[in-house]
Amino acid sequence: MSALGYAAIAAQAGAVVVGAPLLTGWMRQVRARLEGRAGAGTAQPWRDLRKLLRKEPITAAGTGPAFRVAPALLVASTLVVAALIPLVSTATPISGHADAILVVGLLALGTVTLALAGLDTGTAFGGMGSSREMTISALVEPTILLAVFALSIPAGSTNLAAIISGAAEDPARLASPAGLLATAALAVAVLAETGRIPVDNPSTHLELTMVHEAMVLEYAGPDLALVELGAQMRLTVLLGLQASLFVPWGIATAGDSWGSLLLALAVLAVKVAALGALLAAAEVFWAKLRLFRVPELLAGSFLLALLAVTASYFLGTGGGIL
Amino acid sequence: MSPIGAALGAASAAAGAGALAGLLLPLRVRPLAAGACTTAAGAAGVVAGVAALGGDSWSVRLPGLLPLAGTHLAVDALSGLFIAVAGAVVAAVAVYGIGYSGHGATGAGSRGVQALLPLFAWSLLLVPAAASVSTFLLLWELMALTSLLLVLAEHRLRAEVRGAGVWYAVMTHLGMVSVLAGLAWFAADAGGETFAALRAGADQLSPGVRGAVFVLVTAGFASKAGAVPLHAWLPRAHPEAPSHVSALMSAAMVNLGCYGIVRTGFDLLGGGPSWWWLAVLATGALSAVYGILQAAMSSDLKRLLAYSTTENMGLVLVGIGAAGLFADRGRPELAALALAAALLHLVNHSAFKALLFCAAGSVVHATGERDLDRLGGLRAKMPATAGLFALAALGAVALPPGNGFISEWLLLQSLIHGLQVPGVATAVVLPLAVAVIALSAGLAAAVFVKALGVGFFARPRSEEARRAREAGPFMLAGMGLLAACCVALAVAPGALGSGLDRAGTAAGLAGAPVLDDGTGVRLDAVSAKLVPVWVLAALTVALLAAVGVPRLLRRRRRRLRARLWDCGGGAPTPRMAYTATSFAEPLQRVFDDVLAPEQDVDVTHTRESVYLVERVRFQRRVPDRVEHRLYRPVLDWAERAGEAARRLAPGSVHRYLGYGFFGLVALLLVLAVGW
Amino acid sequence: MTEALYTQLLDLACGAFLLAAVVVLWLRELTVVVRVLAVQGVALAAIPLLIGWYEDEAALLGISAGLALLRGGLLPYLLNRALTGPRDSEHRETRPLVNVAASLLTAALLTLLAYAVTRPLVALEATPATRALPVGFAVVLIGFFVLVTRRRAPSQVVGFLLLDNGITAIAFLAASGVPVIVELGVSFDVLLAVLVLHILTTRMRAAFGGTDLDELRELHD
Repeated sequence: MSALGYAAIAAQAGAVVVGAPLLTGWMRQVRARLEGRAGAGTAQPWRDLRKLLRKEPITAAGTGPAFRVAPALLVASTLVVAALIPLVSTATPISGHADAILVVGLLALGTVTLALAGLDTGTAFGGMGSSREMTISALVEPTILLAVFALSIPAGSTNLAAIISGAAEDPARLASPAGLLATAALAVAVLAETGRIPVDNPSTHLELTMVHEAMVLEYAGPDLALVELGAQMRLTVLLGLQASLFVPWGIATAGDSWGSLLLALAVLAVKVAALGALLAAAEVFWAKLRLFRVPELLAGSFLLALLAVTASYFLGTGGGIL
Repeated sequence: MSPIGAALGAASAAAGAGALAGLLLPLRVRPLAAGACTTAAGAAGVVAGVAALGGDSWSVRLPGLLPLAGTHLAVDALSGLFIAVAGAVVAAVAVYGIGYSGHGATGAGSRGVQALLPLFAWSLLLVPAAASVSTFLLLWELMALTSLLLVLAEHRLRAEVRGAGVWYAVMTHLGMVSVLAGLAWFAADAGGETFAALRAGADQLSPGVRGAVFVLVTAGFASKAGAVPLHAWLPRAHPEAPSHVSALMSAAMVNLGCYGIVRTGFDLLGGGPSWWWLAVLATGALSAVYGILQAAMSSDLKRLLAYSTTENMGLVLVGIGAAGLFADRGRPELAALALAAALLHLVNHSAFKALLFCAAGSVVHATGERDLDRLGGLRAKMPATAGLFALAALGAVALPPGNGFISEWLLLQSLIHGLQVPGVATAVVLPLAVAVIALSAGLAAAVFVKALGVGFFARPRSEEARRAREAGPFMLAGMGLLAACCVALAVAPGALGSGLDRAGTAAGLAGAPVLDDGTGVRLDAVSAKLVPVWVLAALTVALLAAVGVPRLLRRRRRRLRARLWDCGGGAPTPRMAYTATSFAEPLQRVFDDVLAPEQDVDVTHTRESVYLVERVRFQRRVPDRVEHRLYRPVLDWAERAGEAARRLAPGSVHRYLGYGFFGLVALLLVLAVGW
Repeated sequence: MTEALYTQLLDLACGAFLLAAVVVLWLRELTVVVRVLAVQGVALAAIPLLIGWYEDEAALLGISAGLALLRGGLLPYLLNRALTGPRDSEHRETRPLVNVAASLLTAALLTLLAYAVTRPLVALEATPATRALPVGFAVVLIGFFVLVTRRRAPSQVVGFLLLDNGITAIAFLAASGVPVIVELGVSFDVLLAVLVLHILTTRMRAAFGGTDLDELRELHD
């Protein structure tokens, strides 16, 4: 069991690191096909990363340690999250630590370090990006925690492994209004946290609309590679978490064998790829919102999360601790 | 004699010696001697507090020390927690103060300030030990007066200090009157003024009297804790005081407001109906969000920290309110959890806020500037201060692996699992409370990114910031002590575990142990677990991997330096960098309806033509709206009343004597008729 | 139909019903709002359908069909016709009196209020249907809120319809439906009201060139 558990942790972390650029490449490819272009291929982000990693490290003039450390810390915090949350198995040696609030906190830690790095450059772009990023992340926080609250009610715990294994046993929870509303709220929060359309456009370099790209404008070489990898890993982890929470089948549990671990890995890849394709397709049809319309979107998702919490005792299907 | 009594005696002796040293010694040795004595007093306080947290208790009655009632002192685990926190803050801040006030005879180094600081520290240690109404009120007033005089320390240097002093004096005394009225009423109805008599007599009070006592006492204590809407003194007095005094006020004095609420609400009155605690919870939630929003708008570093104090006290009040609510609904184990979360947050806040104020003090000391818009680039000039500020800020933003995260996590757990408590109130209030905590945590992240990123990173925005020098050894040592406390609390909160449980038991809420096995936090009742050491270790391993693997792949190892991207327009100057005001602008626009900023645009046209503009002046202010709406009308009314009353005083001495005479006769008449 | 399935489906219908009301607050484009209203009408019709199916009452099935036709088809169609104005700006609720983010937060508070006030009612008889009562109340409150804060005359009709949908839902959830004759009467009233407002809109457009209700203040002078 123990060897299997550690293998599951390694598989999760490895799958996220290796799969993140592939997911981005896959989403770009889907998008390109829908727009009638040939696309650069799924492995293109990996080729970009390899190229950037081989370049010489460059430090922008007048920046300090915060600028230097931020990319590594972004990747590190996401890596811990990737190892922690039950993507492949709910019964790893560390699944007891997989607290949802801790996961939210670790992701926010990455955001904060990158925002500090943006301010550290002392340019107008860096400051603009981090100011906007922190505004959005401050407004996302209530939605995420309320969604966590809603999900934890039927399980009676904020432990993600407990939530997911509970949902796998009792699928009715997922089809209840509380489950659906929490899904929707969390989906909006994921879009905002990962800087996708309609909150931010990951492929823009237009001064007036940049958020994430403005913060990291001064990075080059291996540092840029880490920043890109970090952003891609965040997307993968959050889509994976979304998939595990609302399609909890196929995840290995305690007492499973090596075969089921491999199966879980394959199922995870399929689920995340499907979600990624869905997101990419949606992005073709959506426009980016004005920055000051974003609070409306987030207020809406906050309302959905609050309704998810209330619906679970409104309608009495919450079960669990009530 | 018990260790607590001995330690408190030693603290009193050291504080007395410090006051004498401050008053009598020459300027050269004054800060060192007074500071050393204060440090000793603080250390003795820590000993007393830790002994009480370890399960010891102590009480004494000194009948001769005060006329009429005598002095009653008693220390249980709840008092011990507050004594230990105050002692630790006092000890570290006193070391810092030696360096901070070691220059010049005015301001912080003056005779008065040096003599008063040990007395203020002493009152902070003894207020939680008071065990009768008169002793408590006397020490409370001593604390208020010494802190008021300390706030006024720099009144010769800046005119604003006087205004802040007036606000503080008025509000602290109104709070005192409220507490006095509440406790006096309580004592009169309970038939005794010692805390033991109050406890025994609390059951005989009618519900109406109990409610009135609670409201009066809580209003007074909440104003000391800086809760909205009674916070108006806090963002004035804390920034204008010398920084080590700000640290003491923000990290030790405001705590005693919460102590007062817990002591009277839970211990003396023995809990109460839901509406008390819902009111406390609502006040806390309002303070948390409003405080942090104002902090986000503030570009004065110390004002920002002061508003963040309001936010954190708000979170503590949310915990206290939730604890009372759960206790009233018959769930003592959840109540104990919420109270433990509140107390742990209070301890964490003391550690990081004292450090933040000391670091801000170093910045003020080095540059003479508090305005973030004129700071910047300090990480190169003052690396140690910048690092310590960053460490404290990590605690303040409530992100792992900081210490603030652990207590906010506990608070969230207690609220989330509080839904087990049946009833409409919990079902409606708890989700909103969770949302409020989340929003304030998110905004706190923005606030401290602003403070650290604009104040310490990037390049200097003014000549003063360019000339900054690192703080002296005493200041660094004091901050180092506080940083060690922050790290210890972040890594091993379990060390406090049994102490917190005993404090909860002393407040009358015994529950399942919250923090066990020395390192982690495990809540068996709700199957939740958080092990900070584990998080720290995992982050370290991941960080090493993230730094090491790319280094292995890299072909060219030498780090190059390159110019910043300047859009081809020449090197960007510091004036182009984002300031604190511009950083906060999106948030200000999002919360436009709440903050109601005032702005005016003033366009001057040239004389020749109205189509040519000579000058455009733009001004924007974000006033404290609560103050604007609530205090202004009251002050205006008071002013009008004062104007009217002046007519009674035309300057005739006979008239004034006549008032006294007629007053006396009227009183005697009333007595004679009424008899 | 088993009780578990019935509960689940009823909850879903009520969830969709409430969600539609929220989305109405969220959107600015009035033509889309009308479409959402049609969806809400269908969700509303699903409630008596499920109750009737579970309790074997054929009358409720009939009412359900009528509701679906009226609330999901006819009324939205009439509203849509009212929207075919000359100017594009007429189709958007550009500046509501309370901005959208604040409206959404208010809706959150209104929902909690609805939950708090219906608590004693639910406690009387805790069937799956009565447990969903707060949803109906919340929609009534949100409809009222739309009436108070929106400027355009068509938005007023939308608010009115939300209010009425909410009342109908309460009737079904609390008492398994009102007598057919009452329901017919009410529906007829609603139809009349919508027609009157339709005419008012047309008249306003002729008199003021727009449907902003603030323009009606001129009549006061």
